[in-house]
Amino acid sequence: MKQITLLILLIISVLMGKSQSNNLPPVDKSPMDMCYYPNNYPVLKIQYKATEPAVARVIYSRPQKNGRLIFGDLVEYGKVWRLGANEATEIEFFRSVKIGDKKVEKGRYTLYAIPAEDTWTIILNKDNDTWGAFKYDEQKDVLRTSVPVQKLTEGVEALAMTFEKSDSGCNLIIAWDNIKASLPINLK
Amino acid sequence: MIKLASIFVICCIFFISCTDRNENNSDQTKKKSDTTIVHAPSANPYAAIDLSPMDMSYFPVNYSQKKMTHDITTPPVMRVIYSRPHRQGRTIFGNLLKYGERWRLGANEASEIEFFQNVTIQDKKVNAGRYIIYCTPFRDKWTIILNNDLYTWGLKIDSTKDLMQFDIPVKKTSVDFEYFTMVFQPITNGAELVMAWDDTEGRLPINF
Repeated sequence: MKQITLLILLIISVLMGKSQSNNLPPVDKSPMDMCYYPNNYPVLKIQYKATEPAVARVIYSRPQKNGRLIFGDLVEYGKVWRLGANEATEIEFFRSVKIGDKKVEKGRYTLYAIPAEDTWTIILNKDNDTWGAFKYDEQKDVLRTSVPVQKLTEGVEALAMTFEKSDSGCNLIIAWDNIKASLPINLK
Repeated sequence: MIKLASIFVICCIFFISCTDRNENNSDQTKKKSDTTIVHAPSANPYAAIDLSPMDMSYFPVNYSQKKMTHDITTPPVMRVIYSRPHRQGRTIFGNLLKYGERWRLGANEASEIEFFQNVTIQDKKVNAGRYIIYCTPFRDKWTIILNNDLYTWGLKIDSTKDLMQFDIPVKKTSVDFEYFTMVFQPITNGAELVMAWDDTEGRLPINF
């Protein structure tokens, strides 16, 4: 039986391999995406509707749920999660901001989370240009902050990040499967 | 069980050989045979998945993975962030992209190249920093332009903020590219930014 499974896997890999006929990179299964605050900043900019400069942007890859149970299963509670796929998720501030009570200087950071059932710990770390959370180094943390999560009634297939305006600045919204977390960013 | 497996294997071999033959046939008759029409993925209430997905290439190649495995300890030299439109059966150069007209080298957000150190391109010094990169394609050359209008959308790049431009030759590729592709490949004293789509590629040599 094991041999048959191996054989089938081999055949599938041969079939899949045929779609990549050169040595340049194929399109990722979890596509990369980018979001700005103000939301859609580049589009607003070309329409001359941007009323303030870009404050922040996130670059992340978007894994799909694909029928799996995500939180507490695929993404284990209490462990560092890369908040994305492939290249580590990056948040950049174009000016200094405040998160929790801590000032965060303008610059690029790697973003991680430690999810639990009711709260997530969001981590900003200064080890940039890395891959996933496989070599996460706590020594390089810039800050950790705890944020509440909310259950969603409608499921989200692909991990999604966007910003929303708040009284004190904006919130980074992170949503996947049936969970939404919100990281307050103070711009005052 | 073994019999069942044999039948399965025979079916698979038959299937593979059929697809091979089909590809060979269509290669002779119709060149754009590998094109797949991809539709926009299902709705997402927070952020829709783009039809032309974003991607990122570093130099050194696969820098992030090498950093993870500790195969590299020096900082990256450069990276490009771009979106990857796909051909969808269209003829790209001289058709979808008109010769002599600006091409955003991507889709959606303007493509961005960042040098983490000073580099030299065609004997001109390019300071470390972030630039928008775009192109004016011609039949036998491309003009690659570095521009200062950051964080913009590719359809409307402000050419008054052009900083430098470089002419590079173009050549036909041996394979067709369904998805627009940008990647760095090492050369002596640096790396080339390879830009390939459909049956054409351009290479911008970057020295450091």
